[in-house]
Amino acid sequence: MATMLAQQLLNALSLGSIYALFALGFTLVFGILGVINLSHGGLFMLGAYAALFFLEAHWPAWIALPTAILVTGLIGLLIDLLILKRLRRQQAPHLMPMIATIGTTILMTSLAQGLFGAESRHFPLSFFDNASLTLGSLTLPYAQVVIILIAFGTMIVMGWLLKKTRLGIALQAIAESPRAAALLGIPVERLFHLTSFLAAILGGIAGILVGLSFNAISPFMGQPMLHKGIAAIILGGLGDMRGAVLGGLFLGFAEVLAVTYLSSEYRDAFSFGLLFLVLLWRPQGLFGATHVRSA
Amino acid sequence: MNWVDWWATYSTLVLSVGVYGMMALSISLTLSCGLLALANAAFMGIGAYVSAIATTTFELPFYPALLLGTLGSTLVALLIGLPVLRLSGVYLAMATLGFGEVVRIILLNLDITGGPLGLNGIPLLTQWWQVLLALLSTVIVLQCLRVSRIGRAFEAIREDETAARLMGISTHPLKLLAFVMGASIAGLAGGLNAHYTFTLSPGNFGFENAVDILTMAVLGGIRGLPGPLLGGAIITLLPEVLRDLQEYRMAANGLILILVVLFLPQGLWDSQRFRGWFKRA
Amino acid sequence: MLMMCLSLGVLPVHAADPVRIGVAEALTGPASQYGIPILNGFLLAADEINSAGGINGQKLLLITEDERGKKEEAINVFKKLIFQEKVLLIFGPTLSNSMFAAGPIANAAHVVAFGTSNTATGITDIGPYLFRSSPMESDVVPATLKAVGAHIPLRRVGIIYGNDDAFTKSGYDVFKSSLQQQQVAIADTETYARGDVDFKAQLTKLKAAQVDAIICPCLAEEGANILIQARAMGLSAPFIGGNGFNSPALIDNAKSAAEGTWVGSPWFDGNAAAENQHFLRAYRQKFHSDPNQFSAQSYDALMMVAQTIKKITFTPQLDKNRELLRAALPMVSFVGATGPFSFRPAPPHQGKPGGYDAHQTPFVYVVRQGKFTLVR
Repeated sequence: MATMLAQQLLNALSLGSIYALFALGFTLVFGILGVINLSHGGLFMLGAYAALFFLEAHWPAWIALPTAILVTGLIGLLIDLLILKRLRRQQAPHLMPMIATIGTTILMTSLAQGLFGAESRHFPLSFFDNASLTLGSLTLPYAQVVIILIAFGTMIVMGWLLKKTRLGIALQAIAESPRAAALLGIPVERLFHLTSFLAAILGGIAGILVGLSFNAISPFMGQPMLHKGIAAIILGGLGDMRGAVLGGLFLGFAEVLAVTYLSSEYRDAFSFGLLFLVLLWRPQGLFGATHVRSA
Repeated sequence: MNWVDWWATYSTLVLSVGVYGMMALSISLTLSCGLLALANAAFMGIGAYVSAIATTTFELPFYPALLLGTLGSTLVALLIGLPVLRLSGVYLAMATLGFGEVVRIILLNLDITGGPLGLNGIPLLTQWWQVLLALLSTVIVLQCLRVSRIGRAFEAIREDETAARLMGISTHPLKLLAFVMGASIAGLAGGLNAHYTFTLSPGNFGFENAVDILTMAVLGGIRGLPGPLLGGAIITLLPEVLRDLQEYRMAANGLILILVVLFLPQGLWDSQRFRGWFKRA
Repeated sequence: MLMMCLSLGVLPVHAADPVRIGVAEALTGPASQYGIPILNGFLLAADEINSAGGINGQKLLLITEDERGKKEEAINVFKKLIFQEKVLLIFGPTLSNSMFAAGPIANAAHVVAFGTSNTATGITDIGPYLFRSSPMESDVVPATLKAVGAHIPLRRVGIIYGNDDAFTKSGYDVFKSSLQQQQVAIADTETYARGDVDFKAQLTKLKAAQVDAIICPCLAEEGANILIQARAMGLSAPFIGGNGFNSPALIDNAKSAAEGTWVGSPWFDGNAAAENQHFLRAYRQKFHSDPNQFSAQSYDALMMVAQTIKKITFTPQLDKNRELLRAALPMVSFVGATGPFSFRPAPPHQGKPGGYDAHQTPFVYVVRQGKFTLVR
């Protein structure tokens, strides 16, 4: 029983770290740009397909994967330059960017399906096939170990970037008030572009990790992940980076523990019911700062 | 093609245009009050399921079944509206999306709703004139509301809730009224929809539909009643109109959405823009 | 007299008009991973029929529409095919849920709706114009369990299935009742939702339940993932799958993790019968990929319809021709890529006549050395 619990906690950690990584990029755009970027799921999917494309072109993994991440980042940047920037300039009602990102998601999904087919694909690699480490009575599949290491590594780098660098401080100023930040001489518009780029990179990394470890790349993989991402950032407090990471981890643990102690049938009812309650009781999120920035 | 064949081919599509017009109006009502509530798909689902269970399992006639469906979603809206409407902005959007997921999961796990197999063999009862009547009544009620004191209060709340409260408008009951009325319209639309599509499954009323309905209203423009109707018609017809593009038709659908948002950020039906045209002329 | 000659002269032209067949499948959206192989099966069959001179001199014309796996679009497409395209019969739609929506349209218009991929119970309750060539899980599962039970002990099993999908849920219901009939204990039941990729929490529980086998009425894509993750965490019990497991994608994706997996299904790619070998060869030549069960079933369906049409003498009236086809179809006796096939009338539903279900003996096979191998 103790072994099973330990094993389940490990499962929760790897699942939660993917949610956290995805949610971090999602919340970054909301925190800085004030946009609910519904194409974040699309970027997640795109990252996985870009990696698949380069790997199938027989590029070595150490070139293919970083290139795929970069491509995803550039697409995120492109969405900002072509669409979000224009809407900011027009001071469009705040729902408009959200609708536009629905449009880009439909576009990306449809193109991915046209180019790669609807069936789920897998990388032509077999790093992790069936392999695992054994620690006492615990089984640690390599896939899980890699997910946890890369996800946390990426999040630590992002955390450092946002907290300790001048760039991070400038971004925090924008998150508080873009107008005040502009008055302080911060190049707000350029940092908006950078944020979109970074967020897309995070989404892309999450997509590649899911592709690598679960062998399930499909044009529709973004939508379920987007739901989890929404849940994670609400739990963590909208726009709060630390909260998104904690919210993602929390969601992973909630789901796995619901399967372990309740029943897998009620997993989603449990996590969404929980979400609903959290919103009513603490709309600023479980881990969010106490102030609620009106959106 | 003669008229009989045309109607035989496209009658369902025409009904859908009407029903989704009602859905777009229902969400525009809450939006006009400044509430970004995305529970309309869920309320449509409740109305659809309740009325379909009434006509199939309990063999009730159509009108009482429609009434039950409408009442069902109205009642649920009252219950969740009380706590949920304390939230605002994006938080309300997220909470109502979460509520939608909970409804979907409940529909999946109940026996009376048929679980993932859904409800099948629902009789064909909805007639075109019933949809037209429901749509017209909705438009008339909403138009009366807009020009009434309540409508002006909604506008005041949307512009600045704190100021509205200071002016002595009791904002909470009014917001609840908008939310519950929106749910009633959605419930009625759901009941009508269930009785011309023969089947219901929980996936019909999920996240994707909630977002679709929002898109209809925003795309059409929420500053008047023609906007949501236009948006509902366009989003319903677009996949059919783009049929010839085959596997890329959804790509075109997405692209059109982006272009409209970029070039007509107030929505397609913007009375101020139209007024501008006449001024220049 | 002159008039009569003219009208007689028109007749041969009529005879050379193509036979119009509607195909309504999900060609975009998530369900298109099944809809496209289905369409391929139809395209292959139509090619073969037309290059052999068509049906009694008439070419076969497929009119294909995308129903996106959505109920409203399925209805719209059915109406378009029936009232505008004036087709003789409609194949599709892809998902059972879509058939529940579109089937009543065809039934009311007295046009045959022929499903090649719908396995849910109740489809043929819609009415006498409903046909399907896909056997229900209830025809496949008991035979599968019996065959597997003859090879490995089956006393305690675990189940994992998707509980938000009509296909996997129907599969689960049938497995559950068959297991109860065959007095096999169900030690643990786990579920997942569509789009899940991480099944480790559920598999950890199944591993702890120490079962003889794990029943997985899943689709091949999820199934492959479940197999990989189960093996990676040291869960060694064999898996038993239904219809959905019968796909080259299962072995392609899961590779060695698929070893020892049992599958019961109406089509077996290793079936040496000439009809199946011909189908495999022709499909690979045309599409440069391996067919799956969905393509085999749609290929057979069009072939058997063509065979039936050959025996019908068409009138100039479409309505009558549609009725003639409906009357002739139940008599089909056909051997195709999926083996011998005939229809079985569904029992009347609430006093109304039902449609026609598939009557077929399923194959049961197991994955050995990366290949499906027939059991028995």
